[in-house]
Order: sequence, then C-alpha cells, then structure tokens
Amino acid sequence: MRFGVGLFSLQSTAMQPAHWAAAYRDMRELASTMESLGYDELWLSEHHFFYDGYCPALLPAAASVLSVTERLRVGTGMLLLPMRDPQRLTAVAKDLMQRSGGRLDLGVGMGYRDIEFDGHGMSRKQRLPRMVAGLETLEAAESSGGPPIWMGAQLHDPVKRAGLRGHPILFSAALPFERCRTLAKIWEEGWVEGGRPASAKPPLGALRNIWLTEDPKEREAARDWVRASYVQYAGLGWTLPAIGEHVQADFAEETDKAIADTVETTITGSADECIRQLREFESIGIHHIAFRLMLDGAPRAALESQLRRLAEGVLPRLGDKVPA
Amino acid sequence: MARLVEAHGLFGVLAGAGNPMTAITAAVYASTATEFVRIGVRVAVGLEHPITIAEELSILDNVNAGRTIVVADTAELDQESAADEIAVLREALANRPIQHAGPRWKVPAGHPANVTAPASISVTPKPAQLEIPFWLTGRHASAIGRVMSLPVVAAETREVHQPPLVQPAMTSITGSLNPDREHVIAWAATGVTHLLLAPPAGADLQALLTMLSRYLGPEVLMPHFPRVMSDSRVPLPWPGDRQA
Repeated sequence: MRFGVGLFSLQSTAMQPAHWAAAYRDMRELASTMESLGYDELWLSEHHFFYDGYCPALLPAAASVLSVTERLRVGTGMLLLPMRDPQRLTAVAKDLMQRSGGRLDLGVGMGYRDIEFDGHGMSRKQRLPRMVAGLETLEAAESSGGPPIWMGAQLHDPVKRAGLRGHPILFSAALPFERCRTLAKIWEEGWVEGGRPASAKPPLGALRNIWLTEDPKEREAARDWVRASYVQYAGLGWTLPAIGEHVQADFAEETDKAIADTVETTITGSADECIRQLREFESIGIHHIAFRLMLDGAPRAALESQLRRLAEGVLPRLGDKVPA
Repeated sequence: MARLVEAHGLFGVLAGAGNPMTAITAAVYASTATEFVRIGVRVAVGLEHPITIAEELSILDNVNAGRTIVVADTAELDQESAADEIAVLREALANRPIQHAGPRWKVPAGHPANVTAPASISVTPKPAQLEIPFWLTGRHASAIGRVMSLPVVAAETREVHQPPLVQPAMTSITGSLNPDREHVIAWAATGVTHLLLAPPAGADLQALLTMLSRYLGPEVLMPHFPRVMSDSRVPLPWPGDRQA
C-alpha cells in the first residue's frame, strides 16, 4: 500500500485562524517532514470564494510542494475541471510534470456549487460537457508527458464512467467501508466493460479519517476535530450520497446526523487496530490511502505527532517495500 | 535563475517571459527558491478566465509571502477586451467583494441556472500584499496604463499613481460583540478595505482577538459566511501527546 496525507486546503477558519502565507509555508514544511518519514503522497483540495480562503488554485499550490521535495508525489483531490481552460491546464500540468520529475497526480472532479460556476462565468448545467471535453484533452496529453488522471466520484454512474474511461478513483473519507466496497465493484465493472482485463486494473485510492491513539481523551479530541472539519463542509453545502442508494441526498436538512455518521467512519485505536481496518481496504483493491489529518481544531504539534506515530506504527507494516 | 538574482542582490526576477502559458509554475518555483527578491510573473491576458488567473496570483503571493509583481501583457486582445480583463483581475485581487459588468466579462456571470449564486463574489484567499504591484506591457499597455493610472514597462520612466484599490482606516472598538459588529459593518459599508482597530484600555487581548478572528472578520468582512460555522461548538483542545 501507499500512504499519503490530505486534504491540504490551506484554510484560515473561524475556529483556527492563521495567516494564509503561514498556511502555505506550513504545508511546505509538513511536506518535507512527510517525505522524511516515508509518506508517498500529499493530496490537495479545491473550492472557490469560501470565506476561509479554501485553496482555489491547486496547480500553483502543488508546485510549491513539488519545488521543495524530491520524492513525494502531489495529487489534486480534486481539481474542478469544468472551470478550467483545458489547453492551458494541460500546459501547466505538463510543465509541472517536467519540473518535478513526473510527481504530479491530476485528480479531477466536476464541482457542485453554483457560486463557483457563476464566478467563473459559466452555468452549472454546462459542467458535464465541459468535464468530458476537458478529460479528452487531458487523456490525449497523458501519453505525451501529461500527468496520470484520477477522478473523484461517489455516485454509481460517475464511478462507473471513471472505470469505463480507465481512471482510478480517490474515494471520499466520508464514505463508510461498505460503500467503498460497493463502489469499487462498480468501478471494476466499468473498467472491464471498457474492454480491459480485470487483472490489469490500477489500484484505487481512498481518503480515511484516522487517528492512531489509545488515549481516550485524545481519541475524543480527534473525533471532535473530524466533526469540526465536516462542519466546514456543511458550510460549503456539502452533499453525500445516502448509503446504499443511487440518488444524491442533500444533507442540508440533516447536517448533524450526516456529520455524526461521518465521524463514525474514523479509524482510531492502536496500530494493530488501524492496520486491521486498513487491510480491509487493501482487500477490495484500494491501495492508496490518504490519511485525512488536516482537521479543523488540530494544532500543528498534534498533526506532526500523528504523522510520526502512523509512520512508525503503520507504514512499515503496510507500506510498499519500494518507495513511490 | 531566481537564486542567482537573489545572490547578486538584484531586486527581482520575471517568471514566464519565455512561455506565458506556464508562467505561474515558473513563478512558484522562483518563489520557493528565494527569500527576498520580488517575483514578477508575466500574465498574458485572454488565455484563461480572469478570476482563475486572480486566484492563481493570490496563491502565488501567499507562497512568496507578498513578493509578487504582476506584469500583465495585453497579448492578442483588442484594447477594450484587454482593459476589461485587467479591470477584472485588479478588482478580484482587491480586498472587497466584486461585481463587474464590462464589455468582455460579467462577474459573477448571473446565469439563471445558477440559482444559489449570489450577486457578488470575493476571491479568496486574499493576496499577502495590501496591493500587488501591477505593471502593463504589450501592444495596448500605454493606452490602458493612461486610463487606469498603471505603470507601463517601457523605455521611459513614469511616476506611479496608485489607484484607490486599498482604502485603510483607523477606529476604536469596545470589546463588546454586538456594538462592535455594528461599528465594523458601518465601516465596511464605506468601502474600506483594511481597518485598523484600537482596543479599549485594559482589554483582554486574547479574548478581543478571538472575537475579531471568529466573529467580526468572518461574519462582517467576508460575504456568504455560513451560519453553521458561528453556531457550532469550538473544537476541543488537544490534550497533549500522551503516547510517549
């Protein structure tokens, strides 16, 4: 398995204010720490026009990390493709691949907030055709120095489309294991229907809320940071598909329940317990795990401590023998 | 190159002179390789939506902690279109919500299908600088520079007239949330972009700063602040590293 950390979104929240320049500096420093501890990947996240400065431009942010590291891969989880000019995006991504020695993973998603589309001069109704056109441009570039493409989706049809196109998925941390198992199977169906052998499928990825601790007080705090983080997403009009259903359910009216359910996805406990649960993901073809440790309320000292604990207790027993 | 420029004590480096499409990555790499020099970034307008460009420039300015200079190239656009692109860029990089209706761009676009989109947007994060230096180059630079009072990169030297994008002000607050909120709202309504606040004598500064960062800043100065944030509990503190 390969392990990363995310989602770096460079926010200055009402609960945990910071200077944005400090947030970008901290990310570079944490990336160097991650690299020295043996992590493989760092994942970024995008939104626009949010009060807390949620990172709206992932490739410049990725460039800042890639420019100060040598081995760590940087992924966009997810770059909102319909809002970009695909030709320019491809040029920037290829330039970044060339500068970094090929360490960029380009995760792309469609976006869902009206304000983000309107602020970029387009209607949300245009997002699917723009997404498809953008993918075609990126796919053409992938074979000539462009980055590997990942996709973000959590509903059946988009997950299957990703499989059909042959792109791996990075699943949301908010999805329980059983939901990930269902979606992984749907993705594989798409992969095979696309005319590819099942044996050649690429590993999938998943973000996971996790906190390695046997201290009940720290466990309580970590789960509360997860809660606080999803309050942020509630503010962003967060939506999550209902478990076991195709339709997208808007949890705006059931925010507290949705957040509480998501907190329950958090893996906590000893190293053995964390490993036991992570092996379940490995068993369904999810070999990239991004620990979702960038939590609202978690101070940097706690984050660094957790990075070290996971690096010492989990990575040596589950990580690939050959670094990424 | 950027390291060399810094080592030689020169004032700055221009990224993207060779390929304007990829100037942003060159500028970021120059930024993290240096500590002090200014990072000029060539922005050929018309290659991407100006709000996207503004977002990238704001990230760049935070990565280099406020050392960015924008060198906007009017490139292939006609004068009117280039002027509109530059106007949107500059408005988006200022510290206030924007509502722009020009010959080339309307921001926000106001598409009827975007039913929950508001009448204004605020590009975030804000640049680290109060105002990013904005220079012009290209075929229409002189004409646009005259109208917008922006410096033009040319053989002749010009005096730079700063446009009124940054409007600082200074006032006092009481430390009581509701009257302070009304006071700050009144200042915001004038169009002020940076408000210096004098605390009351003997104030608990920790509490006062918490009030500013948690309430007055997000609620008053940022548009579209979600109520769920201010109604939510403060996350628990970390009890400390007990693993050792």
